Amino acid sequence: MELLRRLRGANNEGVLLAVIIVVVVAMALASPAFFTAGTFFALVRSSLVPLVFALGVLLVLISGGIDVSFPAIAIFAAYTTVAWSTEASFDPTIVGIFAIALVIGAALGALNGVVIARFRLPTLIVTLGTQGVFQGILLAYIGSTYIAASRMPQSVNDASGALLVDIPGAGFLHAMLIPVVLIVVGVWWMLRYTTFGRSIFAIGGDTEAARRVGIKVVRTQVLLYVLVGALAAIGGVISVILGRNANPQTLVGTELDIIAAVVLGGASIFGGRGSVVGTVLGVLLVQLINNNLVLLGIPSTWQRAAVGILLIAGVSVQAIATARARRHPKAMLEEELVKA
Amino acid sequence: MSDLDTKSMRNGNRKLDGGVQSLVSRIQVPRASARMVIILLVTFAVFAVLRPSVFLNPLNLQNIGVAAPEIGLLSLAITIAMLTGGIDLSIVAIANASAITVSTLYTAISASSGEATAESLAIVIILAGVAVGAALGAVNGVLISVVGITPILTTLGTMQLFNGLALVFTGGVTISGAPSLLPEIGRATLAGVPMLFVVLILVAIALSVLIDRTPLGRKIQLQGANPVAARYSGISQRKTLMLTYIASGVLGGIAGLLFLSRNPSASADYGSSYILLAIVIAVLGGTNPNGGFATVTGVVLAALTLQVVSSGFTALRLSAYEYAIAQGVLLVAVLVFDQISFRRRKKPPLPTTETAAIAVENRGKDRTRP
Repeated sequence: MELLRRLRGANNEGVLLAVIIVVVVAMALASPAFFTAGTFFALVRSSLVPLVFALGVLLVLISGGIDVSFPAIAIFAAYTTVAWSTEASFDPTIVGIFAIALVIGAALGALNGVVIARFRLPTLIVTLGTQGVFQGILLAYIGSTYIAASRMPQSVNDASGALLVDIPGAGFLHAMLIPVVLIVVGVWWMLRYTTFGRSIFAIGGDTEAARRVGIKVVRTQVLLYVLVGALAAIGGVISVILGRNANPQTLVGTELDIIAAVVLGGASIFGGRGSVVGTVLGVLLVQLINNNLVLLGIPSTWQRAAVGILLIAGVSVQAIATARARRHPKAMLEEELVKA
Repeated sequence: MSDLDTKSMRNGNRKLDGGVQSLVSRIQVPRASARMVIILLVTFAVFAVLRPSVFLNPLNLQNIGVAAPEIGLLSLAITIAMLTGGIDLSIVAIANASAITVSTLYTAISASSGEATAESLAIVIILAGVAVGAALGAVNGVLISVVGITPILTTLGTMQLFNGLALVFTGGVTISGAPSLLPEIGRATLAGVPMLFVVLILVAIALSVLIDRTPLGRKIQLQGANPVAARYSGISQRKTLMLTYIASGVLGGIAGLLFLSRNPSASADYGSSYILLAIVIAVLGGTNPNGGFATVTGVVLAALTLQVVSSGFTALRLSAYEYAIAQGVLLVAVLVFDQISFRRRKKPPLPTTETAAIAVENRGKDRTRP
């Protein structure tokens, strides 16, 4: 029992992993073409950008909020940086591109944070508003035209072609995997070992209690949204690099799909719960389905429905567990104590 | 009766009182609607002054009346869900499912038994579309009230599911065909007012009667204002939520019919940006996203206002992007304004660390006072 409990994980990460294994086995049985380097590389590649976004969403969910403005921030930061670099014919190197985008993203995130924390407004509604503002400003005043690879800064094009592993005929592993892995580890470390990370959990668990133990709620929230804005900007630049073009009309509209993946990964929409491991698994599962459903003989039009069914099943299990906990608080408390 | 029972009953009563009190204090119905009337009149006047030739053109005014109803109905669907403290993100997917059902049924019937038969069955086909809306709303209702999933998660999932199933069904292409009754309604006018707008007003009246004049409406409001009080007063939470989401689904189904009236084709992807816009309108119209308070009039006025801003921006040759900015700024500004005026009205501020410290100090002073 003890071992089983530990395997299941605090946020059902183990269950999610089991589901992924079942899906992988089913796909492998259905099609021998599944177990190839190409499939694996494609899965990694398509997960990179959603994963960076998902980490931002995870942080906001843990703090008890919902952010739908991150794709707007992402494309705003990435497109503005690339467009400026193109127009000025100045290539600030790839590090420079990331740095500029990061500053822009952080500034937009700060705007979210100040409005939300200062006026204690519902996060979903505020970020809905700022999403419109950010995207509107981008398209109306900065640019609405597609920038093709031929016009992009050389350093971005170099990054697009940078491969970690290249197996001719089988596919390649993109170099952008490295920054994404660093970010994943960084967020995991931050949530686990820093005061800031623990404060986010505390605010999400019970804002009033967090305030009373001396956590500066407003400052932490503003800082959180700055960080989430910066993460979104990095995701935006990576999506430009992987896509080999800067299209200001993309990304916005994907926000609910990313939130779905994070919720699938066990994060609670009420705040205070969620893990990086769960989020990574959630994103991988969604991408696995999106990429490879065809291998199971299911037409690709079923992708969205399949993710919907998974999400409903996932949150149903959580809801039923919560209801059970409410009915038998003592037994659950003992279980929690054993876990601790 | 044991002591414990009386105590719990007394507690229940106190909570109920609190709920009623907060309900009473929230009677800002005239306030929210009056504010929307002012905003609507001001925006209208601004555009009328800036570009009278284009904006005041009867054709333009009719266009506002034709475009506002579908988004207005979707906003009302979200409003009723928000009234119980929930939200319905699946509403656009439900509207599309209804439109696809009507279009498919019509095409299938006219292929098998001729167009005349299909036309004579128009009412049945249209009702089938609304029924699909109700059925999908019931799916939400079961997941929320029986399984106990939070509304936002439920509808996030069912949004994907309904939209996904619609994609599977249509194969991702736009299908066309609709009973000619629908486009006829779309073109018709009643004393110069587009028929679609009349439909919106009729539905809005029906909804406000439901909310303000029926026991169910009271239950829905109490459920949102104070779920604990609602439970203690013997209201079945399950039934209330179930009916709320069915009502929301029906409104979505009717919105789907309006899609078809404007353009006799249906697709799974239609109006994907509508969901966020509908939330904006609901909140602008004075709906409290935390539940318990909403006004149908305010939401209809907000839908009209946004349509006026949209067509006014077009008249001024401003882009759709600038319209998006205006939407966002308007939403955040109204929220901030509400919050500031709410804080001013509310006497004791929430205890922050500073005020708590001051309170502790004051308590000490009180004690030393003779």
